[in-house]
Amino acid sequence: MPEVPETLGAPEALLEVKGLSVRYDTAVLLNDVTLRVDAGETVGLVGPNGAGKTTLLRTVAGLVHWEREKKRGTRAGNIVIEGQVVFGGQRIDRLPPHGIARLGLVLVPERRRPFRELSVLDNLRAGAYLVRDPKEVTRALETVYGLFPILRERGGQLSGTLSGGEQQMLAIGRALMTRPRLLCIDEPSTGLSPRVRREVLAKIKDIGRTGITILLVEQDVSLAFALTTRNYILSHSRVVAEGTSEELMADERLRQRYLGVAGTA
Amino acid sequence: MVRYLNWLWREFKGEILVLPGRSILFFGAVALLALPLVFRHPYALRVLTMASIFAIFAASWDLISGVVGQLSLGHAIFFGTAAYTSALLNLNAGLPPVVTIPLGALAAVVAGLAVGIPCLRLKGQYLSLATLAFPIILAGLVMVFSSVTGGELGVSGLTRLAPTRLKEYYVAVVAAIVLILAVWKITDSKVGIIFHAIREDEVAARASGINTPLYKVLAFCLSGLFAGLAGGLYAHYMRIAGPSTLSVLTSFQPIIWVIFGGIATIYGAVVGVFVLFPLVEVLRVAPELRMLLYAASIVLVLRFMPEGLAPWVIDRLERKCPRCKEHNAFTRRACRVCGTALRVPQEKGVPSGG
Amino acid sequence: MLGNILVNALMNAGVYAMLAVGFSLMFGVARIINLAHTAFYMVAGYCIFYLVSTAGLPLPLAILISIVAVVVLAVVVYRLLIDPMREHETTVLILTIALALVLQEAMLLWFGGYFRSVPAATAGYATILGVRVSFQYLLTLGVLAGALVAVWFVLMKTKLGLAIRATAQDREIAEVMGMDESRTATLTVAIASALAGLAGAIVAPLYILEPRMWLNPLTIVLAIAVLGGLGSLKGSLFGAAIIALAESLVVFLVPQGAFLKGAFSLGIMILVLLIRPEGLFGVAFEEER
Repeated sequence: MPEVPETLGAPEALLEVKGLSVRYDTAVLLNDVTLRVDAGETVGLVGPNGAGKTTLLRTVAGLVHWEREKKRGTRAGNIVIEGQVVFGGQRIDRLPPHGIARLGLVLVPERRRPFRELSVLDNLRAGAYLVRDPKEVTRALETVYGLFPILRERGGQLSGTLSGGEQQMLAIGRALMTRPRLLCIDEPSTGLSPRVRREVLAKIKDIGRTGITILLVEQDVSLAFALTTRNYILSHSRVVAEGTSEELMADERLRQRYLGVAGTA
Repeated sequence: MVRYLNWLWREFKGEILVLPGRSILFFGAVALLALPLVFRHPYALRVLTMASIFAIFAASWDLISGVVGQLSLGHAIFFGTAAYTSALLNLNAGLPPVVTIPLGALAAVVAGLAVGIPCLRLKGQYLSLATLAFPIILAGLVMVFSSVTGGELGVSGLTRLAPTRLKEYYVAVVAAIVLILAVWKITDSKVGIIFHAIREDEVAARASGINTPLYKVLAFCLSGLFAGLAGGLYAHYMRIAGPSTLSVLTSFQPIIWVIFGGIATIYGAVVGVFVLFPLVEVLRVAPELRMLLYAASIVLVLRFMPEGLAPWVIDRLERKCPRCKEHNAFTRRACRVCGTALRVPQEKGVPSGG
Repeated sequence: MLGNILVNALMNAGVYAMLAVGFSLMFGVARIINLAHTAFYMVAGYCIFYLVSTAGLPLPLAILISIVAVVVLAVVVYRLLIDPMREHETTVLILTIALALVLQEAMLLWFGGYFRSVPAATAGYATILGVRVSFQYLLTLGVLAGALVAVWFVLMKTKLGLAIRATAQDREIAEVMGMDESRTATLTVAIASALAGLAGAIVAPLYILEPRMWLNPLTIVLAIAVLGGLGSLKGSLFGAAIIALAESLVVFLVPQGAFLKGAFSLGIMILVLLIRPEGLFGVAFEEER
């Protein structure tokens, strides 16, 4: 594996993924992916189904490495991870997910995955697990309630009983409770009505404005491009293009091949 | 005649001798059949007779729990039902073992229906724990109706399996070879592929048009059939059917044997029984430490061979072709089926392909 | 008569609940069916027997030492044997069976197969609702209630409890939120075995000790955990109450009922499962990839 020259990493880069490859047995899920997210940016990650977007976020959050460690020695668990993930100047590709969370990188997972049998409030508290000071927790809670007032109303309800849109807000709120530096959001609009989609994406835009860096995986390209500063297109496990929303949309070939297709999902 | 022998030899060479694992099993079976010609120690014959009977029981557990993935913690229900049925028919109706054992197995098939149908609604761990209940419930009934079942003492005084010790040995060994081959053939057949599919992904199996409930009940019945045959053989060999045939430990025995030997392989079940059962007997030299050493050796072996003994050995003696997935002896350089070059086995965690 | 049934049921319900809660928690968080769970309960009983009868320690001190010993034993076994094997579910299953057998045989070696008993902490009795209840019973009931309230408090009101509940729901997401799954699982094992130890300690003066005393409670605990719903605290409590009451009724009212009590409880379990396959308060665990 050839090393990527250090000069690529400008000082303000928050997340750098360098030559990352992930294989499950013989299936290649990521193939030599290199990308970076600078502090304060909202970066979009788009591309067709099965391109490896979710795998990329799961690898960055440490879940693929964790799965590999757990399944070491079983016949099913032949997972290979190559390359580097650097967050805030520190290599994180060998850290367990909870160690990565401690550094301020948090994932809002695909399909939202709230702790279903826990109340909404307990879900948010679970997000604040690493925050020691109770005052800090209260403050974070107020911030989240300010962003999603509905969560305050539903505080005592079991999160499994929430609607899809509410669950998505809860998942984002829960992640915000960790006081993250980088928020990785995986397909927040899937399964939501167009109106709720726009609402959720608008909230993400608001979160970006507060200074939190965001890496957003989204199927709905037109919605995503409206709020991202820069984007990567992933296809067949590789990065095929990078640029601002305008640049990418202006490229007829890219639009037809990747963006148009992705936009109809 | 010569041509037939020739064909037999080629089949033998092509199907058995090519793979070390199969050769070991084949020669093991031959050794079992030939042993009494040179060695007739009654105690050794007794241990091997019991091991043969238990190997059938273990294989039947592997069929439902390993192959179909419906992990049963209550396999004693089949063993005990058949043992009691055979015993009662033998004593009260005077039927010979040739009749009572199949009838006992039939009763176990009915038990398979009784367990399998309610368990259709259950999945995973819930199913396992529910199956645990059935033999205990039956054991409670056996105790209550002690006038028929003999209560704690059981039903004793059954007709012998065969008139002499040697004949009993051959009945058990031949039954084991035939029945285990049958189980193995089932797992290798079309039905067997469906069984494997249910274990791997039941939803997907159903989605591709397989009537999974039907096949699961079928699997319970088949497993019950073989466990029942083992139970009947056991009752007639021991000449008693007691509540111990329904105990929790009887349910746990095949689990220990099979997982120790290697689950979902059938041959692993046989290996597990023929290693562990004689081990318990050998350990009789230290009666107080016997169970302790037994359990400790299981724990130790599994700590280092988590997939079980047989797969661990096979992994070292055979190599899977990366292209056609056929097994090959470790001595081969190229796959015997498709000719692909076989590489030296790599360290775990390192990819085998590109 | 009714009073006897109720007192007996209450007592058993408490002990079963302690065992079932621990079993259920361990299943929920660490995803192991620990068939050795009640063996730890037995070990605690023998520990107390040894400390009181042979070493001559006072009962409360003996109870404390026994619980600590059981917790240490359970955690060491978990870290060394079970945790590295956790992805091999079936292997874990027989590892726990083998472990229970090892403990059984160890007790048999040290203490022999005789029935043993531990002297009661207090003598005398009170008359409640026309039933003579010994002080030992009342003391035991008090400790049981206290322990269950403590468990409830830890689970619902502390950060560790939050981590335990979250991890039981979704291991991956709990990790992503910064909860160390392996630490949470180890602590859960410690709590569960402490409960088993306490249960063993408490019944030691009331029941008879023998090396196979783990088998019967094991089946009952499995029935309760399944009946109430694996991983559910509430389910374990309700399940324990239902099964204990049913057992007492069968033993007192049905001829030869002692033989049938196990069968009866397990019959109830199967009936409940047929109506609600995930148990009374079952959590439908999300399928993990």
